[in-house]
Amino acid sequence: MLRFVLRRIGLTLVVLWGLATLIFLLIQLLPGDAARTAAGRNASAEQVAAVRERLGFDEPLIVQYVLYLGRLLRGDLGRSVFTAQPITSDLADVAPSSLELVVVAMVINLLVAVPLGVLAAVHRGRLGDLAARLVAILGNAVPVFWLGLVLQFLVGAQLGLLPISGQGSREYRVPDVTGARTVDALLAGDPAAFGDAVLHLVLPAFVLAAPFIAVVTRTLRSTLIGVLETEAITVVRAKGASPFRVVVRHGLRNALIPTTTIVGLQLGWMLGSTVLIESIFGRKGIGSYATTAVVQTDTFAVIGVVLVVGAVFCLTSLAVDLLQLWLNPRLRAVAG
Amino acid sequence: MTAAATTAGDVSVAAPVRAKRGRRWTARVVEISALVVVLGVLVVTLVGPWLAPGDPDRVDVANAFLSPGTAGHLLGTDAEGRDVLSRVLTGGRETVLSTLLVITFAALVGTAVGLAAAAGPRWLDELLMRICDVFLSVPSLVLALGVAAVLGPSLSSAVIALAVTWWPGYARLVRSVVRDTLQLEYVAAARVLGVSRTRLVRRHLLPSVGDTLLVQTTVDVAAIILVISGLSFIGVGAQVPSAEWGAMVADGRSYVVTAWWIVVVPGLAIAITAIAAQLLGDSLRVRLDPTLRNRR
Repeated sequence: MLRFVLRRIGLTLVVLWGLATLIFLLIQLLPGDAARTAAGRNASAEQVAAVRERLGFDEPLIVQYVLYLGRLLRGDLGRSVFTAQPITSDLADVAPSSLELVVVAMVINLLVAVPLGVLAAVHRGRLGDLAARLVAILGNAVPVFWLGLVLQFLVGAQLGLLPISGQGSREYRVPDVTGARTVDALLAGDPAAFGDAVLHLVLPAFVLAAPFIAVVTRTLRSTLIGVLETEAITVVRAKGASPFRVVVRHGLRNALIPTTTIVGLQLGWMLGSTVLIESIFGRKGIGSYATTAVVQTDTFAVIGVVLVVGAVFCLTSLAVDLLQLWLNPRLRAVAG
Repeated sequence: MTAAATTAGDVSVAAPVRAKRGRRWTARVVEISALVVVLGVLVVTLVGPWLAPGDPDRVDVANAFLSPGTAGHLLGTDAEGRDVLSRVLTGGRETVLSTLLVITFAALVGTAVGLAAAAGPRWLDELLMRICDVFLSVPSLVLALGVAAVLGPSLSSAVIALAVTWWPGYARLVRSVVRDTLQLEYVAAARVLGVSRTRLVRRHLLPSVGDTLLVQTTVDVAAIILVISGLSFIGVGAQVPSAEWGAMVADGRSYVVTAWWIVVVPGLAIAITAIAAQLLGDSLRVRLDPTLRNRR
């Protein structure tokens, strides 16, 4: 068991190192002078020279690599050309807002996908199943950036149901403590501002969740169908358990194990997808930071986002695997 | 099959047969429509510019924001008075060709790597799979964003970026299929008969990979078209005056409230293509896999 855990952690470290190396190689592909890119388009010759000196860009490649790894270990991603701040602190500023979006999106994802998946499995081949299949196909085919714009138009502008942009309305003054508006509103003890912040989250979070709903519904449907065909379930049925109890208490519990794996991995993917969504909804966050950086040719800031999202993704998948071990006694037996 | 399922099957023999026939009929319709749409999109890719009723890049500010149905502009005009229908028909070429390029590259490289990993020595397998792990440790959209940002924003950067990030999925897929096939008796028999290594791979391993690849590439059209157009939407793919579908959506985003069609039309084109590709992939999967044919 301990060996399995250590091996899994070791593997994560190897992948993280590989990711850092991959990004290092990528930086070598930068056309022209990397120091100029790092210093910004409008930097003077002296400034560029200073950056080259500081980052060691005229050292041999292997020295550069060691210096680069050293900087990463210290959490130094370089300085943004656009904000003139260290990229790490920029990201720390905007991350809570993205996190809040991802959490709400995950809640919506589960609230829609779990009932739909169960319905599809229980009503296999009938209307509920068809609905689930439709959701799955649409979720994998509708571009989220487009869905976002269309919903802004329909739900926001035409129907006026939900706010379509920003983190919260102006009339609520909330001191910026954590960067996540909902948490800030709670800290300020202002329930109205909290409600307002949540309303602002609904549309972007739903759009962010849409493709993930499709995946969870499909996974849950097929695993639950598998579980419901096992003899254990036949025994439970024969003992006269109510259909609800059979499906939820005995079926769903077993089917949730593979589903949690998928859901866990989706956290990292969702963080990546904010790139497409945050700028549409005028929200600050890691995604809109990356898209602004792209427009400003702030290449090292974009690379910083890639590294951070990659690291988060590796760590969540590690966490998911360890969680599995704890949730699933069968796996524990195998892992020894 | 468990006891419960067999009894259930025995009790209601008549009903499922009828239901199955009904389902087969609808499945047929869905399958054929998906095929028609996919072929239609390919035709647009090939001859779209000649199908376009007007010049997709002709700016006509006096006729900007005409709504769909206006004479001469079936799907309306955009902020600069360009004909939306002509642009969608022309831009499809960029979107679809880039998607096909990415898939071809990813499938070729992935197959080569997957074969090498499955049939090669253990250390090579370990090395290649760890490299795949690294690529798969970042969502492909984000990694492609990084690569495209480094290469400088353009559609070809986006294509290169995606091709570079997409192959590991195929490598893993091919590796697992080849490993399964290597266990089968006919492969053992071929080995015993003294078939050479290259012939074994060419005649006995690759065909079994082919079906899987065909299904996966078809389904992946949907995924890749979304990412390619997403990259253009963000601004690292096709650049602004281009009629690439994602770039068209980006072009209209500021006017979505007043002129929805500029955004809706190219987005629908993406969605319809992706839906058809998925449905076609699903039906190919069922057709090519005899064990699936009677299930569902």
